[in-house]
Amino acid sequence: MISCISRTPHLPGSLFKKIIYLLLAAALATASVKAADVRGQLVEAITNDDAEAQIKLVEQFSTSTNALVVQTLTTWRQGAVYLYDAGGDKKIPFLADSTTDADGKMRGLQLSDGQPVKDASGKVVMFLSSDLTPADTTSKLRKAIRATLDLLALSNPNPNIRRDAAAKLGLVQNAAYLEGFRLHLETEKNPEAQKALQEAIAITELASNQRAVQLAAIKKLDGLRSVMGLDDIVKLETASRGKAPELAAAAAQARKDIQQHINFSNFLGTLFHGLSLSSVLLIAAIGLAITFGLMGIINMAHGEMIMIGAYSAYVMQNIFIKIFGEGSAGFNWYFVVALPFSFLTAGLVGMLLERCVIRFLYKRPLESLLATWGVSLVLQQAMRGIFGAANVQVYSPAWLSGNVNHEDVVFAYNRIFVIFFAIGIVFFTWLLLTKTPLGLQVRALMQNRQMAACMGVRADRVNMATFAFGSGLAGMAGACLSQIGNIGPSLGQSHIVDCFMVVVLGGVGNLQGTVSAALGIGVTDQVLQPHLGAVMGKITVLTAIILFLQWRPAGIFATRGRGLEG
Amino acid sequence: MSMKHSLPKSHLIGLIIGFFIVLIVMPGLNMLPAGNPLYISTFTLSLYGKYLCYAILALSVDLLWGYTGLLSLGQCLFFSLGGYALGMYLMLKIGTRGQYHTDLPDFMVFLEFIKRFPETGGLPPHWIPFRYFWFAAAAVLWVPAVVALVFGFLAFRSRIKGVYFSILTQALTYAACLMFFRNDFTFGGNNGLTDFKDILNFDLNSASTRRVLLIVTALMLLATYLLCHWLTVTRFGKIQRAIRDSENRVLFSGYATTNFKLFVFVLSAIIAGLGGALFVPQAGIINPSEMATDKSLEAVVWVAVGGRGTLVGPIIGAVVVNWLKSVATHSAPEYWLYILGGLFIVMTLFFPKGIVGIPEQYRAFRQRRAPAAS
Repeated sequence: MISCISRTPHLPGSLFKKIIYLLLAAALATASVKAADVRGQLVEAITNDDAEAQIKLVEQFSTSTNALVVQTLTTWRQGAVYLYDAGGDKKIPFLADSTTDADGKMRGLQLSDGQPVKDASGKVVMFLSSDLTPADTTSKLRKAIRATLDLLALSNPNPNIRRDAAAKLGLVQNAAYLEGFRLHLETEKNPEAQKALQEAIAITELASNQRAVQLAAIKKLDGLRSVMGLDDIVKLETASRGKAPELAAAAAQARKDIQQHINFSNFLGTLFHGLSLSSVLLIAAIGLAITFGLMGIINMAHGEMIMIGAYSAYVMQNIFIKIFGEGSAGFNWYFVVALPFSFLTAGLVGMLLERCVIRFLYKRPLESLLATWGVSLVLQQAMRGIFGAANVQVYSPAWLSGNVNHEDVVFAYNRIFVIFFAIGIVFFTWLLLTKTPLGLQVRALMQNRQMAACMGVRADRVNMATFAFGSGLAGMAGACLSQIGNIGPSLGQSHIVDCFMVVVLGGVGNLQGTVSAALGIGVTDQVLQPHLGAVMGKITVLTAIILFLQWRPAGIFATRGRGLEG
Repeated sequence: MSMKHSLPKSHLIGLIIGFFIVLIVMPGLNMLPAGNPLYISTFTLSLYGKYLCYAILALSVDLLWGYTGLLSLGQCLFFSLGGYALGMYLMLKIGTRGQYHTDLPDFMVFLEFIKRFPETGGLPPHWIPFRYFWFAAAAVLWVPAVVALVFGFLAFRSRIKGVYFSILTQALTYAACLMFFRNDFTFGGNNGLTDFKDILNFDLNSASTRRVLLIVTALMLLATYLLCHWLTVTRFGKIQRAIRDSENRVLFSGYATTNFKLFVFVLSAIIAGLGGALFVPQAGIINPSEMATDKSLEAVVWVAVGGRGTLVGPIIGAVVVNWLKSVATHSAPEYWLYILGGLFIVMTLFFPKGIVGIPEQYRAFRQRRAPAAS
């Protein structure tokens, strides 16, 4: 089994040369080692008795592109590769199977071919987790495995992993890696990974013993606005103060520039997070702005409409998984179907609610609050009954997961989507309210119910349509929220107070008020959070709203009428 | 005039029977030996004690909502503030009998308050006067009153009313709830205050203390009831109801409605605080979930179920709904929210006057039917 291994030629010499060789090989992506050989080599590395030889064997793997290598090395380092004594000196390395039988015993999967471990008679051997013998590693060996894994990561197909690996290796400031970085830089296409490699080179060069190299490295890092290099630059600045004035000056300049850049990207990050939080608030509250603001109905079940929308998205996701399978191309389109589906489901529930409960309470707004609260309890419990009390997970389609990194700010796709979606919804609602006959009727009813009814507006029907529309918007909000966090039966409860705050602060019955209130609350919350913490930030915002209403009791944009009441 | 304002006969009889039961019969039955079929356990006794505390809370909601037209969703905040005030006294009374056997309440040892308040040996300075019962008892009244005064002043001054008042009180309660959940707010965070041992040197776990607590609660409820009754039959009560029905008319008739509303709001906060203070020794715990927004709404439901705008209604509502809750959460926990939600809907839609109003509704229904039949 072991004898069939053909070793790849090993270049002796300094570590420096060796790494150049390894990285070059990796950069050219020469996956010359076949899968079977890789398994053999791994077995050899693990079973070799000589620790020095083991380290050398491990270091060979830095060229490998085989996923098995990363997996095995990681497990080995964690002490989860086990040895089976097959008699004589022969040891068989294996991984424990994840499933156990009734006695709590499990099979061992041989590293050499992935088959179960068998004893001399060919019977499958079962292991108890307590009597497994892990393959030993010395601390030196573990370090070598670690380094190999890091180097392997530089040629990982995933650019984010390459970027992180470069950043990590750069911070070690090991001059031996320099050539490798340069080689990778030549072939690297991904701009982020490129930047990380450049930073890694410059940071490593900071530790150089030549002033000119150090100076150039500082300038380079300054130009790159390298946040990662800041610590080392500061260290260099303090070390060279007095001794090398021009170095210290350059370092000071770089530090200033980088700190400025950090401030700027923090500002940008806060703004982005504030905007995305505002958008969530806005999407969640806009339905309420319509039902509460325009119709004067306090719908405490609004949060549950959001919840229904979120669960609709969950159902749609499950349907798509059933038809297309998880992670398939078809699955990625489920969200496009889920949005209108959520709108329809929540709208339908809203319509039912209006017909069965709310229409009897138009003249008793305080009591509509109670009845709809009752409805919200029933809906919550119903969802608990159907989907269980635990949160459920909605998987984002591929085009919504992931992020871009710009100016050291992480822009997550789903948050960007939410911002644009909010803009779209506001525009759509504005269009509906101002450019369609329904919108005209809604506004007429809002201004003067009796007069509008006298002029032939069918108040009953318009109310129903408006309420259904508002609920539908809440449903879409739920679908959107399902992309950001988990959803559970109490999802609505966590949003309802915020929604009411947005509507009350904005001033009842107008969209611009709702938009500005959502923006104000969202951005203020994000600005305060780093200083006060999430909870205190929220409390401060609530207090600020209460105080703000002292100044403008009817909200930011009050609708002025001539009536005394209302 | 005076006849008109005295209690209706049926209410009076009901009250007498009710108070006879909780004041004499229940404590009496509790004193029977445990094997006796009529024996009432101390647990049940305290359960009814809690119901009566909730009834006090319900009265405070009704005073605001039923009589003044202010639907406050923050009454549970005042209830909890009262509860916390007495809870702090009970907490310090534990002394060295806690888990860590120090003078400091357990959670303060656990959260290493000694580092935050080294000069007082770990006890936050505002806790110190709560060693004295009289101070805690006073705080039960003035802490909710001050909070209500400040919030009410701000809210009524800027003429926040109706639905907006409800939503803002809800926001206030929500903010306070978040605050109390924080560990560094010095009130025990998530777990609140619990593990009380004794009150005024009487063992809290003994049946006799529990009996006395029940009787005290019932007497307090009676006193609150009489106070509210007196308030509503006076001239003050008339203005109160006038504000409910048309605030602007009252305003234009030369009454400073803001002051009236503020007074009622503060008074109801004090009543709620009192209820909370009586609740804590009988429940044995007070934590921030007691002031969650849904608790305030539940209190509103008690009033709606019993009958708003009457003073017997809230008491009946609080006892009936909570009794139902105990039964339902025990035998069919998954249906409780359906029942509660259904109660909300049915009561508001079909019985706007609550249980107390059903006979009247029935009579009106009969009268409407009678001419049609003949």
